[in-house]
Amino acid sequence: MRRIETILLLSTISSSILAAETPRPRGVGPEFAKFYKSTSSFTCISNPAITLDPSRINDDYCDCPDGSDEPGTAACTHLSPLSPPQPGAGENVTLALPGFYCKNKGHIPGYVPHLYVNDGVCDYEGCCDGSDEWAGVGGVKCPDRCQELGQEWRRLDELRQKAARAALKKKAELVQEAARLRAGVETNIKGLEDEIRALEAQEAELERKYQELERKERGKVVTSKGKGSKVTVLAGLAKQRVEELRNALISVTGKRDALKERVKELEAILSAFKEEYNPNFNDEGVKRAVKSWEDYAANKVETDDSAEERDIQEIAKPDSESEGINWAEWETEAEESDTDAIYKLEEYLPSAVREWVHQKLTDFRIMLVENGILADNANSGSESKVVSDARNAHQTVSDNLEKKRSSLEDLRADLGKDYGEEDVFRALKDTCIEKDSGEYTYELCWLSRTSQKSKKGGGSTGMGNFVRFDTIEVDEEIGADGKGLGQGERLTLMYENGQHCWNGPNRQTTVVLACAEKDEIWKVQEQEKCKYRMDVGTPAVCEKTASKPAPKEKDEL
Amino acid sequence: MRLSLLPSAQWTACFVLLSVLCSLFTPAVSVKYENFKTCDQSGFCKRNRAYADRAGQLGSSFESPYQIAPESLSWKNGQLQGVILKTIDAAGETVRLPLTISFLASGSARVVIDEEKRQKGEIELRHNSIARKERYNEAESWAIVGGLDLSTTAKEERDATKSIVKYGPDGQFEAVVTFAPFGIDFKRGDATHVKLNDRGLLNMEHWRPKVEKAEPKEGEETPVQVQQGEDESTWWDESFGGATDSKPRGPESVALDITFPGYDHVYGIPEHAGPLSLKETRGGSGHHTDPYRLYNADVFEYIMDSPMTLYGAIPFMQAHKKDSTVGVFWLNAAETWIDIIKEKESHNPLSLGIGSKIDTKTHWISESGLIDVFVFLGPTPKDVTKAYGELTGYSQLPQEFAIAYHQCRWNYITDEDVKDVDRKMTKYQIPYDVIWLDIEYTDDRKYFTWDPLTFPDPIGMLKQLDQSDRKLVAIIDPHIKKKDGYHVVDEMTKKDLAVHNKEGKPYEGWCWPGSSYWVDCFNPAAISWWKTLFPYSAFKGSAENLFIWNDMNEPSVFNGPETTMPKDNLHHGNWEHRDVHNLNGLTFHNATYQALLSRKKGELRRPFILTRSFYAGSQRLGAMWTGDNQANWDHLAAAFPMILNNGIAGFPFAGADVGGFFGNPEKDLLTRWYQAGAFYPFFRGHAHIDTRRREPYLAGEPYTGIITRALRLRYSLLPSWYTAFHEASVDGTPIIRPHYFEYPSDEQGFAIDDQFFIGSTGLLAHPVVTQGADSVEIYIPDDELYYDYFDYTPYSGQGKHTMSAPLDKIPLLMQGGHIFPRKDRPRRSSGLMKFDPYTLVIVLGKDGTAKGELYVDDGDSFEYEQGAYIHRVFQYSNDILESKNIGTKGKLTDKYLKSMKDVVVERIIIVGAPASWTGKSSLKGGEELEYHAAEGGKAAWATVKKPGVKIGEDWKIDFSVSHDEV
Repeated sequence: MRRIETILLLSTISSSILAAETPRPRGVGPEFAKFYKSTSSFTCISNPAITLDPSRINDDYCDCPDGSDEPGTAACTHLSPLSPPQPGAGENVTLALPGFYCKNKGHIPGYVPHLYVNDGVCDYEGCCDGSDEWAGVGGVKCPDRCQELGQEWRRLDELRQKAARAALKKKAELVQEAARLRAGVETNIKGLEDEIRALEAQEAELERKYQELERKERGKVVTSKGKGSKVTVLAGLAKQRVEELRNALISVTGKRDALKERVKELEAILSAFKEEYNPNFNDEGVKRAVKSWEDYAANKVETDDSAEERDIQEIAKPDSESEGINWAEWETEAEESDTDAIYKLEEYLPSAVREWVHQKLTDFRIMLVENGILADNANSGSESKVVSDARNAHQTVSDNLEKKRSSLEDLRADLGKDYGEEDVFRALKDTCIEKDSGEYTYELCWLSRTSQKSKKGGGSTGMGNFVRFDTIEVDEEIGADGKGLGQGERLTLMYENGQHCWNGPNRQTTVVLACAEKDEIWKVQEQEKCKYRMDVGTPAVCEKTASKPAPKEKDEL
Repeated sequence: MRLSLLPSAQWTACFVLLSVLCSLFTPAVSVKYENFKTCDQSGFCKRNRAYADRAGQLGSSFESPYQIAPESLSWKNGQLQGVILKTIDAAGETVRLPLTISFLASGSARVVIDEEKRQKGEIELRHNSIARKERYNEAESWAIVGGLDLSTTAKEERDATKSIVKYGPDGQFEAVVTFAPFGIDFKRGDATHVKLNDRGLLNMEHWRPKVEKAEPKEGEETPVQVQQGEDESTWWDESFGGATDSKPRGPESVALDITFPGYDHVYGIPEHAGPLSLKETRGGSGHHTDPYRLYNADVFEYIMDSPMTLYGAIPFMQAHKKDSTVGVFWLNAAETWIDIIKEKESHNPLSLGIGSKIDTKTHWISESGLIDVFVFLGPTPKDVTKAYGELTGYSQLPQEFAIAYHQCRWNYITDEDVKDVDRKMTKYQIPYDVIWLDIEYTDDRKYFTWDPLTFPDPIGMLKQLDQSDRKLVAIIDPHIKKKDGYHVVDEMTKKDLAVHNKEGKPYEGWCWPGSSYWVDCFNPAAISWWKTLFPYSAFKGSAENLFIWNDMNEPSVFNGPETTMPKDNLHHGNWEHRDVHNLNGLTFHNATYQALLSRKKGELRRPFILTRSFYAGSQRLGAMWTGDNQANWDHLAAAFPMILNNGIAGFPFAGADVGGFFGNPEKDLLTRWYQAGAFYPFFRGHAHIDTRRREPYLAGEPYTGIITRALRLRYSLLPSWYTAFHEASVDGTPIIRPHYFEYPSDEQGFAIDDQFFIGSTGLLAHPVVTQGADSVEIYIPDDELYYDYFDYTPYSGQGKHTMSAPLDKIPLLMQGGHIFPRKDRPRRSSGLMKFDPYTLVIVLGKDGTAKGELYVDDGDSFEYEQGAYIHRVFQYSNDILESKNIGTKGKLTDKYLKSMKDVVVERIIIVGAPASWTGKSSLKGGEELEYHAAEGGKAAWATVKKPGVKIGEDWKIDFSVSHDEV
């Protein structure tokens, strides 16, 4: 006990020495010094009606309704909107002081909450000089550690500053890269636009040709087609039919394969379910489900259908000269039939007359067709090879054009898409980072997907697909290594509609970003069932701000 | 009528749709009835109920076949011994049932009935069973710790038909033992208060061999069953839910009727979810149809207002009527059912004109073991709980942190997660003392290990917690994973310390870790071994601020009958599980308690262990909670009756999971639950693994602020709570007390269980437990003055008063005439408040006086047993406030006082201060006084600032008004 008295005595002496230059009572920060200057009386800071003898300052009894008479003790800590209301301690308490001021000589001065004062704990984090435990309750001693902690802080701060500068540089690089990528996209757009223009011209030309040919075809007199032409027509029909069937087969096998995958996935889910369900819950429904699954699994027969599969693959191959049916053989006619020769009568006429006759004939025929007197040749399904070639040629170009247009649209959309400020995430898109955390390895793919993979086995589980940018208000620590979200508004990437949780929603991830030198997942938390939060550092969100080593103020609520 | 005018089809459709919608939103959770037996499915319960029905039907022509052989009786040193003969057939053949009636120095009486043939081992067991032949006679060695000294003043008189023993304080009690049929009437004064075998339901199913009857041959027609002799259908092997109980000893149940003439309320026999005042159990409007059941079980998603069994069992009942309380303690650890009926008083000249006109008649039925019943004659509730506590021990004086707030969740998933929650609580300035780890911290559910991936640094985590004097509680359960190379299971099986199956081989069942064995803590060798697992050097990653949670100790066995062990399993000494089931949880809790006492040589600190399963006596070992409740208003409302019932049954360190274990509470429910939880003796927030995170700081405003105020209220009142815990630890008085306990004459209060008093502080709380309520009807039992705790609004007048209670308000009254201590400085944990100054609140009574107590010690060690504590009474009368020592000086008193010498009273608040103090600014001794006159409907009050008195010293403060001042 004597020791404590000595310490008290010493501190009295030291404070009286200090009093000569800065007459501040214990716990008062310099910005509040003016309220404590008078030696004759003290006025409660926010209640000027209350005047006290200066001996009441720091006498360990709370007199002022704003706590300002006890800057250096915990006597006014009950004045708080978080404490049970009591008469005299008004509900709308506004405290005059931000906390207990620690001078922290050799380090950064700061405030700690008054409720840390004389509670027997050395709160070096905010009070490296140990001055919060001036009374030594229960024998606690808090030697001044500011030199050591200050030095360490400065060392780390230097690293932080360095990292911050590096991060900004990285950010600039990212922005540059993004701009480069953007320029690339713009170039692509330009190229595509040119191509499209060319293709449009080509398409128009081909369309014209095709239409002309078709028109001609329609103008042909119905011919009782000879033997050869009948086969040609049949071949045309058969080819079309075979093509349809083949396409149907391919589509059905595709669907079958997809379903097989689904069944496999379901079986995996169910066998995991059987392993992991909690028999304690005695849920009859669950028990029944497990039983049925066991029966199902027991009855499952593994059949070998590789032969059948081979056949299907064989059938699904497109026809060509070497495989399947060589349609070309059937479609082209070796010799002209008699009727065709008659039709070629025109060819004997002088060209001018021929044109005129042909025109008239064709018009006449078209008139007949349009009036329902003649059957329409083109619709009869026996389109001639020439017309269909023209049509195909047009179609090919038109399809190509469509593709280009859609690519162009995509590129334009991409150009208009939100890649964050300065387009910076364009540079990160589709790259991924990983983090080992406890049982899981987590993966974040920028603007694409998040996933987790258990180290205890099992596949990767989707935790969401990127949907949009958002922001969130955070209030977190920043570690000595500079990692951490800090306080304020932070950019977030929202990943939604991940794999569905048993007993829960679809997984989703909120990726909260803060500035860091390199892309790194700091922390992953499951905030509620299957809703995750990833705290992620990336240079992409760094901003040029004067990093101020301001005193760490702790709000006293 | 009006409805019929409407197009009904449309309305029906609407209604159907509505009800479908409703059913979608109704939580589809509810107990699985089919997993647990009804009385009808429990052979012995069914038999004894049938026996009672037959007796009832026969009325006066029914004759109990139990008679004392008068010549067998002998009296010695306060004990009456003899033999009851049970006539078992028409030929008059009898079996001998030795009887011992002990009259104890404490004034309690004990009646024990055994079976001679089984005592002597002259029976044959079926199925070549190796089980013990005696009736289980060791329950006493677990449940009873004292109070068995025999009376030296009791006197017996006997005639041909009865024996009369006068005993108790000043010989006021009397037991009239009637020989034929056997029965005992217990009297206090002239009135009979407890009657044994009054209805003739005494039944001890004596051992009998199974007579194999020829099975009807195949193809032959089954002969029509001729009812010959007794119905044997439930005597032998019994099946339930696919499991068969081999019952090697056949039928062996014991039963007795106990009648409380003139008593219309009975309380106790926890644990059940239902009102404090027990209901009738034989049907009728508002009554239960099944008896109250005691068979400790892991009941998944239990239901409200039900006599169904839960996790713990205390077969102790109090009966209460105006100005009189009596009690019985049925010391039997087997499955037990208790039927209760209340009947209009039969013609009874002895109780004419006294009390009510209702008799409460109970019927106690146990599957095996002895009849061993203690009778307590009161006359006050306090006398009864005290007498019961003398036998089974008083509530542990806990670690002080254990009565502060506990933050739990299944599960904090990593050590970083724990540290993060810890930092956040600090940051939001929300006090808490303990953070908890459920099963997921272990490596693959192997207790005494840590998951290397998620808890790589338990010591670092413990160190961070210790910086704010906070603790960690980790779960350790009795099922031990069967896994090669797991040192715990290897040692346990090598030493043969697991519970055995009926063949005498280690019993294997299914629990959290999968296939498991269960440590048999009935075995002293198992306790010794269990102790070796806990030293800091053995349980790697544990430290001084780690404490233990024992869960699943009913025991819970996922694939066992009724989610527990087969009854024919064998424990140490080859006692059947059937005999000891309800004690199982206590023995495991006890082993852990012993283990925590021996973690480090030379370290002797109070263990803290939470248990889910319990029995009479568990109160000596730690705290209990009401198990896996649900996040709904019904469960919030059910918690207080359950905690009150536990309290009057001697186990007051009780609480319910704040927020509700299953499901996600709405924010108003969570907030109200914290306001209620601040009054649970054991105050812990807990949540199921599938629920959303709900640490208080996540709720957002205004909820977080309101919750924080509730928590800080608890913390500021900790000195009063600790004083109440101390009181419970020395005389068994509950920590939160129901009305009948404090006002045994006020009949209007006998069934009240939604408000209660906190210790002896005069604080009367009525927390809101209903959705959307903005006021409560608070009942005031007397004409004393009461004041709102938070704003000093006065209330007075016996009867109900409406108290406004918006979401941010807890209805809490201070009763005049009390003084209670507080510590108003909010800190991060209770440990950091140790040296803070006190605030004394004096609530002046009508007569201008007030009184209260403070007990304080180091809150951690056993040094209080050597006087290291401060125990003071504060008295205000004749304008003098005085602090007097009421402790007993011991070896360590001075040392402790020295350590506390700087702890002072910083403030004295006088509520209801006399108007004569108007204008006064100081007291005679110079102390500064601040007087606030009554205004705005609030009472006058005054504050003495810095009175400069020390908490550990005697002092007086003079408040009298001197003439010159007025």
